[in-house]
Amino acid sequence: MDDPLVIGGHAFGSRLFLGTGKFASTRTMVEAVKASRTELVTVALRRFNREQAEDDLFGPLSELKNVRLMPNTSGAMNAREAIRAAMLGRELSKSPFVKLEIHPNPHHLLPDPIETYEAAIELARQGFLVLPYIPADPVLAKRLEDVGCSAVMPLGAAIGTGKGLATAEMIKIIVRDTNVPVIVDAGLRSPSDAACALEMGCSAVLVNSAIAAAEQPAAMAAAFKTGVEAGRAARLAGLMPTSEIAQASSPLTSFLSAND
Amino acid sequence: MQLTVNGEAHEHAGSGTLDALLDELGANKAHAAAMVNGDVVPSTEWAAINLREGDVVELLVFVGGG
Repeated sequence: MDDPLVIGGHAFGSRLFLGTGKFASTRTMVEAVKASRTELVTVALRRFNREQAEDDLFGPLSELKNVRLMPNTSGAMNAREAIRAAMLGRELSKSPFVKLEIHPNPHHLLPDPIETYEAAIELARQGFLVLPYIPADPVLAKRLEDVGCSAVMPLGAAIGTGKGLATAEMIKIIVRDTNVPVIVDAGLRSPSDAACALEMGCSAVLVNSAIAAAEQPAAMAAAFKTGVEAGRAARLAGLMPTSEIAQASSPLTSFLSAND
Repeated sequence: MQLTVNGEAHEHAGSGTLDALLDELGANKAHAAAMVNGDVVPSTEWAAINLREGDVVELLVFVGGG
């Protein structure tokens, strides 16, 4: 595996993670997952419902080769509920990965940093690989690294808004100051957003709505794959420095006016 | 035995283990996680857990999520 992304000792060949919500059908979701070549997808927990047994994604997802499931804690209003959700998710996924998300306000779905921090401490202590969804706050990111989170996942913009990297300047600081992988989660709309995140030095992106709500989800998933690969390659290649003044890229010798 | 399952009253007619409850509900046991009175119960213990009158059981499955 060239240039693997290592999280908690697990190596991933793809830097694109997918959410599995909001797809028109399970088949559409599975096609998008395949087209993305992702190796990590998020899933949510919901009460078992006899009438809607077809919503159970365990079967379709477990048939996908080389795709790890990362349960999220969506629905948790506080640290206590998130810890319980993480334990239930681990029962099913048989994996230590958890996307810790606590966003009690349905109007903006922004993460509660205090509850998230408290839950992260306990989950890391219990041996989970904790990937917290957080506001793009460099101080919080560092504190979460210090308590043992395996990565941090700052938001680009509010969940499902497609506003892109509205938090770009803060994310750059998080990348510079944090030693665990930085994964932009939420807000991305286009493959160029994903490329930008990787160019900034983010380790990966987690995308759901931008693919699920695209006219052709599988095609968009493939486009995101390309965007992520381009952004990562650009980061490794080293972007040129910016300049306040123009710097000619062609010779400015004045042969055209030499005979005037 | 009267239980509360996923927030609704449920009259359980089986042997009273968590395993029996899942069978009764027709749940795919390989795809479900369970909690009794707020405590997560690993699937390895489902056959041994004897539910009691009034227990609050939550059964969860994976669905799409971001």
